[in-house]
Amino acid sequence: MSEAPILSVEDLAVTFSGPDGRRTRAVDGVSFSVSPGRTLGIVGESGCGKSVTSLSVMGLLPKVGTAISGRILFEGRDLLRESERSLRDLRGDRLAMIFQEPMTSLNPSYTIGDQIVEAIVRHRAIGRREAAQRAVEMLERVRIPEPAARFHDYPHKLSGGMRQRVMIAMALACEPRLLIADEPTTALDVTIQAQILELMRALREETGTAIVLITHDLGVVAEVCDEVAVMYAGQVVERAPVEELFRFPQHPYTVGLMGSLPRFDRPRTRLAAIEGAVPDMSRPPEGCRFAARCPFRIPRCETMPELAPVGPDRSARCWRAPLEELAA
Amino acid sequence: MLQLIGKRLAQLVPTLFFVSVLIFSLQHLLPGDPALVMAGEERDPVVIEQIRKQYGLDQPVPVQYVMWIGNVFTGDLGESMRLKVPVSELIVQKLPVTLQLAVMAMIVALVLGVAAGVLSAVKKDSAWDYVINVVGLAGISTPNFWLGIMLILLFAVNLGWLPASGYVSPFEDLQRSLATTIMPAFVLGTAIAGVIMRHTRSAMLQALASDYVRTARAKGLSERVVVWKHAMRNALTPVITLGALEFGTLLSGAVLTEQIFSIPGFGKLIVDAVFNRDYAVVQGVVLVTATTYILLNLLADLGYILANPRLRT
Ligand SMILES: Nc1ncnc2c1ncn2[C@@H]1O[C@H](COP(=O)(O)OP(=O)(O)OP(=O)(O)O)[C@@H](O)[C@H]1O
Ligand code: SF4
Ligand SMILES: [Mg+2]
Repeated sequence: MSEAPILSVEDLAVTFSGPDGRRTRAVDGVSFSVSPGRTLGIVGESGCGKSVTSLSVMGLLPKVGTAISGRILFEGRDLLRESERSLRDLRGDRLAMIFQEPMTSLNPSYTIGDQIVEAIVRHRAIGRREAAQRAVEMLERVRIPEPAARFHDYPHKLSGGMRQRVMIAMALACEPRLLIADEPTTALDVTIQAQILELMRALREETGTAIVLITHDLGVVAEVCDEVAVMYAGQVVERAPVEELFRFPQHPYTVGLMGSLPRFDRPRTRLAAIEGAVPDMSRPPEGCRFAARCPFRIPRCETMPELAPVGPDRSARCWRAPLEELAA
Repeated sequence: MLQLIGKRLAQLVPTLFFVSVLIFSLQHLLPGDPALVMAGEERDPVVIEQIRKQYGLDQPVPVQYVMWIGNVFTGDLGESMRLKVPVSELIVQKLPVTLQLAVMAMIVALVLGVAAGVLSAVKKDSAWDYVINVVGLAGISTPNFWLGIMLILLFAVNLGWLPASGYVSPFEDLQRSLATTIMPAFVLGTAIAGVIMRHTRSAMLQALASDYVRTARAKGLSERVVVWKHAMRNALTPVITLGALEFGTLLSGAVLTEQIFSIPGFGKLIVDAVFNRDYAVVQGVVLVTATTYILLNLLADLGYILANPRLRT
């Protein structure tokens, strides 16, 4: 990693307290960083805290009953210490996000043009007409056919894939330095999925935007990411450049994921279940979170391992990493 | 959309027919012979027979209906047996009064109900939310007559700020007109405000938890825009429908409230008519209010279609 990271998350922890007093530590000890023009993939099973992590970066978690600690450094500023007001100035401008649910993420009562224009005039000192021109341009850039006509459409007239394109157009309208894409293709069917990923890749080339791509599809990671952070039960358990991760996974959980890598003839297969269940996050185990499912377990695993370097550019949260030595 | 509207309009015809038959026949199912009532002290069977003939009461019921509905279409709702004036004239006299009261009550209900509903949704689970819900429930469950009497005691009797009863037309003296109607409008409005508050609250909670509100926040929009533009626009549709229906109910006259404040509107007219077996008046008033209610219902539906891009296409 030559260039200084644009986003660097350090030891992020998020705890929700429910109205019944139950506390869920959804995210705990999450660290990763991403540099300008690069794509970081965050992978992990459903419920491991991927969305919570990305929403904390955006400052979009519910205010009531949520405790966040750690540091989220974006362009050198710690977002957890910024005022709501300056966060609002960042959101949609230098920092943008697209979501898992294209069907419901657009407001059904306003035209897509209106919704993109709104994002532009919020952050740029330009009139509505100019903003409308820019919005049509953006629709064209995300390859929406007949953009000038679609501008006046309500979201219900568009398919899921088209809506996700609109979301991307909206997110990129102010040329953000960082785009967080939370499972942007999960809700879409395969061919559309490939198109959207291709689009994001092309847009990254054009704009140099850094991307955090959240997914539970290792195939997607292999295709578009430069680096990967693997999450398990609220923690980052392994970080590595993408080729190295696939060549030598260093955490037993990652090894398990590789074993269940989706086959090319069935690209939509989710991460197949590794034996055993994810721990209950309202009562996480004291030691390694993966211990209950780990074939490499040793007595030491009853204390929690740190995310520690296991190579020049990579780290793993496992007492037994690097694992190659074991195989040897 | 045109097809949808056409369908709603087509439904209107049988509905109105059914309602008119109902109104007409209820009249004839009620005990008491209108001819006898009209005859008053007169007990001479010849006279009574003549009254029957004169009002068509000797004809078979379906014929009577056709005669009646035919007259209705020409604007002739018959004549009040008691007051000896055309029913339509009575209605034209009383309608503006009830209308004024209904509009004022609706303003009170919408302003209080929507503001309170939005506030309690935005401040969910806070002290605000709690207080608003308690007050709202109290508003729904307080009987109108009790609140009316309390208001009279406070503002008319003790403080002497407002007249206790009576009515002045706004065309005569706007200020006094408002003074005479503000209390009954408040009584009627608060009762509806509670219901509107609850609907607004739940619709707003749903909207605020939606993905598109999250998108709006992700654009960096202020909470004010998020709440009043993005969430409100979607939450308001059911509230408007409800408001239109409540308005229809208000138009049929607020019997007790009008009685307490001696407001000479539809409520008072219909009560007097029922007690005096003034059939033509009862029929006329019920027909007019039922029709208005049905039309408002239709307007609410059309409004719903217009406000909803998915149906508008
Ligand atoms: N507002 C909240 N209050 C309480 N718990 C929450 C809240 N948001 C998320 N959680 C919990 O935090 C955990 C992590 O959720 P998250 O949505 O981040 O998972 P995810 O990795 O994005 O999964 P998926 O792949 O299904 O999207 C889950 O157990 C979830 O129930
Ligand atoms: S620390 Fe122990 S239990 Fe945890 S992943 Fe490594 S070997 Fe398995
Ligand atoms: Mg998620």
